[in-house]
Amino acid sequence: MVTTEQIRHLGWLARIELSDSEIERYTSQIEEIIKYLDTLDTIPLKEIEPIVAKKKFSDLRPDEPAKFEGDALGTKYRKDGFVKGPRMV
Amino acid sequence: METKIGLEIHCQLTGAKSKLFCSCRCDYRGMEPNANTCPTCSGLPGTLPLLNKKAAEFAGMISLALGCRIPEEIAFYRKNYFYPDLPKNFQLTQYNAYGITSIGVDGRLEYGDGKSAGIRRVQLEEDPGRLVYESGSMETSVYTLIDYNRAGVPLVEIVTEPDFSDPKDVRLFLDKITSIMEHLGICDTKLEGSVRCDGNVSVGGGNRVEIKNVSSFADVEKALRYEITRQKTMVSRDIEVKSETRHWDDARKVTKESRTKEEEQDYRYFPEPDIPAVVLGEKFNLFARQSMPELPDARKERFISNYGLSAHVAQVLIDNKEMADFFESAVKTYQSPKEIANWIVTDLMSFVDERQKEDRSLFAGLKIGPEHIADLAKIVDQGVVNRATAKQILSQVVKTGEMPSQVAKRTHAGKIDDAGALSQAIDSVFQAEQAAVQDAKRNPNAANFLLGKVMQATKGRADPKAALEMIQQRLGS
Amino acid sequence: MALYTLDAGSVASGIKSRKFSAEEYIHQLLERIEKVEPKVNAFVTVNKEALDQARILDKKIRDGENAGSLAGVAIGVKDNICVQGIKTTCASRMLEGYVPPYDATVVKRLKDAGAIIIGKVNLDEFAMGSTTEFSRHGPTRNPWDIGRVPGGSSGGSAASVAALECAASLGSDTGGSVRCPASFCSAVGLKPTYGLVSRYGLVSYANSLEQIGPVGRTVADVVAVLNAIAGTDERDHTTAENVRPAYSLSERKGLRVGLVKEFLEGVDPAVAKIIHDAVDTLAGQGCKVEQVSLASVQYALASYYTIAMAEASSNLARYDNIRYGFDMTPEGYEWNTYFSKVRSNFGEEVKRRIIVGSYVLSSGYYGKYYLKAQQVRSLLKNELKTLFKHHDVLIGPTMPILPFKIGEKIDDPLKMYLVDIDTVVANLTGVPAMSVPAGFAGGLPVGLQIMADEFQEQMMLDAAYLFESAAKVQRSPEL
Repeated sequence: MVTTEQIRHLGWLARIELSDSEIERYTSQIEEIIKYLDTLDTIPLKEIEPIVAKKKFSDLRPDEPAKFEGDALGTKYRKDGFVKGPRMV
Repeated sequence: METKIGLEIHCQLTGAKSKLFCSCRCDYRGMEPNANTCPTCSGLPGTLPLLNKKAAEFAGMISLALGCRIPEEIAFYRKNYFYPDLPKNFQLTQYNAYGITSIGVDGRLEYGDGKSAGIRRVQLEEDPGRLVYESGSMETSVYTLIDYNRAGVPLVEIVTEPDFSDPKDVRLFLDKITSIMEHLGICDTKLEGSVRCDGNVSVGGGNRVEIKNVSSFADVEKALRYEITRQKTMVSRDIEVKSETRHWDDARKVTKESRTKEEEQDYRYFPEPDIPAVVLGEKFNLFARQSMPELPDARKERFISNYGLSAHVAQVLIDNKEMADFFESAVKTYQSPKEIANWIVTDLMSFVDERQKEDRSLFAGLKIGPEHIADLAKIVDQGVVNRATAKQILSQVVKTGEMPSQVAKRTHAGKIDDAGALSQAIDSVFQAEQAAVQDAKRNPNAANFLLGKVMQATKGRADPKAALEMIQQRLGS
Repeated sequence: MALYTLDAGSVASGIKSRKFSAEEYIHQLLERIEKVEPKVNAFVTVNKEALDQARILDKKIRDGENAGSLAGVAIGVKDNICVQGIKTTCASRMLEGYVPPYDATVVKRLKDAGAIIIGKVNLDEFAMGSTTEFSRHGPTRNPWDIGRVPGGSSGGSAASVAALECAASLGSDTGGSVRCPASFCSAVGLKPTYGLVSRYGLVSYANSLEQIGPVGRTVADVVAVLNAIAGTDERDHTTAENVRPAYSLSERKGLRVGLVKEFLEGVDPAVAKIIHDAVDTLAGQGCKVEQVSLASVQYALASYYTIAMAEASSNLARYDNIRYGFDMTPEGYEWNTYFSKVRSNFGEEVKRRIIVGSYVLSSGYYGKYYLKAQQVRSLLKNELKTLFKHHDVLIGPTMPILPFKIGEKIDDPLKMYLVDIDTVVANLTGVPAMSVPAGFAGGLPVGLQIMADEFQEQMMLDAAYLFESAAKVQRSPEL
């Protein structure tokens, strides 16, 4: 049973402001989806190892510095080179 | 009341040249804001993390130095939370809840007097960016300025078991960690912000409180003492200690309730799909062991066995790598290890002020190098000057940088042990102090007064042993 | 001569042999785009510099320089793949003004091969969808029937190719997003083995599942583009080491083909008929076809959506509008409020997936959903390995239904998810899969899906080429 309280909390966790009508709508839709995903529970999968991709230690990136030619941050909301963000409190 | 303290120490791998997951420089200090960024560490869409090989090696060395086991493979997890200093709004770190993925586990470090602490794990993770407040404080700033130069810098986090019960021991432990980091060349602890330490404290089996925001190892001891007192006071008044996170207020020297509402954080950890599990294997273990520079404990043993130093003196030297290096350099120039060690540990250190000892840059203000101490030891050994004079010469040398043997020559500070000159000096004193001479003939101890006068007359250059012998001879006759 | 109808191979050879100029070709394409876009709406941005780039290429050729294997070929790039200097919106408000400062590796490789990026093409927002209806730029329409969906999420990639607006395009395939629109638009669409093609520059939706793949009007064109983009990339550690493939068109006799019976269950009878005809065609070409079973397919969708939504919820966390996004100054806001407000501008489907993803990863649920879903992947992979021991390729319909009307499934998310049932297996297991046009039912395209074992693209392409030559299905409608 997925509740509106859960959806509200998840909205907070994901930092997405949800309107009351959205919370209503999502609750029933998401409950259906979760019920579908719950079918995973019915599979007896205790011994199966998940596949993990591997990489050799020798294939990691060498420790060489390199400057990025270009402006990674663009000109959106800047002040004296800093990026301007909302206040903390 | 039983006190339990556990630590979480973060060390920047300042020895690396690039960041943990991209090729931006690791040394960001002094750069213009956001001059040290690229699409990857800025969290731009479409970018992928590329693990730095050297950082993994360094983390492996730290694990070994702390007696940890290194697993066959390591992996990275995402710690998901939102914060303006986090470009991706998740941090790449390591996590052991679903199987060991961090670079070291189950270690133990001895830190003195047979005391040791368990090391729960050593892990690699990335540093976030920096938040700056124009008005100077978080509370009054209307907006926040963000600098991503530091975002992505490699960190090693060391988590200990709650094996400490005395903040003093914590201090000793942290000093040991610092010494190891210096010897490995992995973390330059002198750089501002290169090491941070959080502590977990509980008293009498009560709730655990986490102390954050302690920016220097010296403050850790203070913060822990404050917190322990706070908790013990509460317990004595039957008030329950809440399980919470508190911040160390450096200005007022107290721990405060955390301002930001830190509800139960649900970090939704899961493995980072863009970084495959890295296979280390036995080869990595061997390689890390072989490339590891000499650790402080091994160096101390070598100082004791090769140079014949006492355990105490050896310990003082290795507690600070700069001092140990200085010592070995001096000994290379002139082979008198015990003499040189004593000069460094006792006399030279008296010229280093407390603040420099804290900053761990010992010899920054002094114009002195290993060759000066070697030279000083030489002229004392050769009998050119006596110890008292040598001390005076040292106090000059630290200010001017002149070689001690030069100073001795220039000021005719050479020791007087030539019998003729001594005899002359003693004659003049005996003449001037006839009453004292009569005194000394009856009372041998009074000879010291006469010796004092002889030293004065020769401006300290007389060899006290030879002079006293001669005085006693004269008195006897 | 209608240059815009040429396939990629003919374009490159025509330009290099100077039968016509790149400028002429691009000029015709831009005219074509202008003519049909009101009906198709495949493009988000048309590259303003395309004509200049064509002129530069023509000069290169006149000067006798090496022009590249795809010289002058016009390629559309899905708008979730970064092209330096051109807006990359992912069809979302959250990247409204974003201009990437770097090229995706695949884009760089195409440019190095002489191709011309003709524009950025439409998609479902952040690649989440199967119909290209979840786009801020309006839905893309199926060139075969503009009242119907072209499939998704790479609807723009497939529709632009079918509508002759470009010779080939790049799409991204997370759960079928290249193959589904290819099937609905009668194009060839290929998802490579996971790790064959670099994802550097692909805006992540579900990083353990997705790959960039080519869409073209012929198998030959898809091969040409794949050869240009595939291979190890040091910028993407999930690409396989030491791989530099060179696929070809080859005749292979006696292919052992397995028809997966689970893929035919519950399928629209019109689709099933076309697939059975395809089986006959293959048999007629000397292939050995028999029915096989892939039992764990029943869990595939649940596994796919668990993993995809979990990864998405984390991949999309970075969109807080501070470094890139739309116009809304952070001044005056407390940071939690600002983040929550800006992020309410995701489309509804994206918001829903982020919430579900956060749910399955949240405290206490990791073992129940995410871990189980990962185990299903192992299960499927093992079953496939067994099947590939005795079969060279596995086939089935790409989509269980015919292209449906725009707006038909948009209000029922779960119903929408169920159309992916045949395509997600390849993403979960990493094996390569492609869709080839198999025929029409009532004028609507049907695709045949072909899967091969990991890194066995050549085998899969051989089967596709064989089928294509025999079936000769129409590739572009009258528009």
